[in-house]
Amino acid sequence: MIFYSIMPQEIVFANFDQMNNRELREISMGAVTMLVEPTGPFEGQIVRLISPNPQDYLNPQLSPGQKISFHPSVTE
Amino acid sequence: MSINQYLQQLSKAPINNNGQEPEQPAPQTAPAPPVVPAETPSVAGDEAKKRIVDTITQLGQTNVPQLESNIYCLSIIGQVEGHIQLPPQNKTTKYEHLIPQLVAAEQNSKIEGVLVILNTVGGDVEAGLAIAEMVASISKPVVTLVLGGGHSIGVPIAVAGSYSFIAETATMTIHPIRLTGLVIGVPQTFEYLDKMQDRVVNFIARHSKITEEQFKDLMLRTGELTRDIGTNVIGADAVKYGLIDEVGGLGKALNKLNELIEQRRGEKVLQ
Repeated sequence: MIFYSIMPQEIVFANFDQMNNRELREISMGAVTMLVEPTGPFEGQIVRLISPNPQDYLNPQLSPGQKISFHPSVTE
Repeated sequence: MSINQYLQQLSKAPINNNGQEPEQPAPQTAPAPPVVPAETPSVAGDEAKKRIVDTITQLGQTNVPQLESNIYCLSIIGQVEGHIQLPPQNKTTKYEHLIPQLVAAEQNSKIEGVLVILNTVGGDVEAGLAIAEMVASISKPVVTLVLGGGHSIGVPIAVAGSYSFIAETATMTIHPIRLTGLVIGVPQTFEYLDKMQDRVVNFIARHSKITEEQFKDLMLRTGELTRDIGTNVIGADAVKYGLIDEVGGLGKALNKLNELIEQRRGEKVLQ
């Protein structure tokens, strides 16, 4: 990575080694797969969306940062 | 300031600062009256307030892009984040979020134009160029607006659209690409950096009226920046150098975008 910014590197990368590795879970809802940071037993915050349908990325309910609740279900 | 205080201020102060009607009322704020009467604490108002608080805590802002509009507004703020996740003190725009959104904007027939608003301090070269190339290759009209700052890797993004605007007070810092704080010891490394820099310079020269020579001259100028070589171009200067098309704000940018959309509609009818 080449860093090209007016911000000094020392400021941008301060605390870089202390960044805690978040535990992310991959969750599928219909055709949409997302990386979710769990905030509770069955709820979490969307970190990244993985979908082959570009329109999903325009859905505000699926935008990163949204809280979602999910329950496991059995599909045949 | 607590979130409650912030909300109170929000309900008192008008949302925009131009005294005009806001172009796109935020979907969250619309259902709630600005001041909820104390004697009738409506459930709907509380619900809306809760949603605003949620949006502020999640996105750091009160409104999110609206789907009903025929333009798609993309804001690029803070650091452009690429392959390395930056520590949490940075405000970042993550390119993996933006790129599918640009694909969707291109593909969605309801979206007729894209407005890119920039206030960035730079960031990852690869990510910045990726966004710039995506913006440049959209077939729909794209208007870019630099507010505050469009520095470093923000420059290619700012010139990538069909037409570009810069606010009168906004600045763009043009400086060489280098590894800050590291001593360049081997010639290969320098050549590598030089090649990366050429990618940026070529892109800017291709997408704006500035020549490669003049841009490099601005990039390598001494005596303008205190701790670095390079130039800080402000508003009208950016237009003078041919980097940006026009000085203007939101109203001008939206007018131009609508004009370009009309023009494109006309072309479609002719075909």
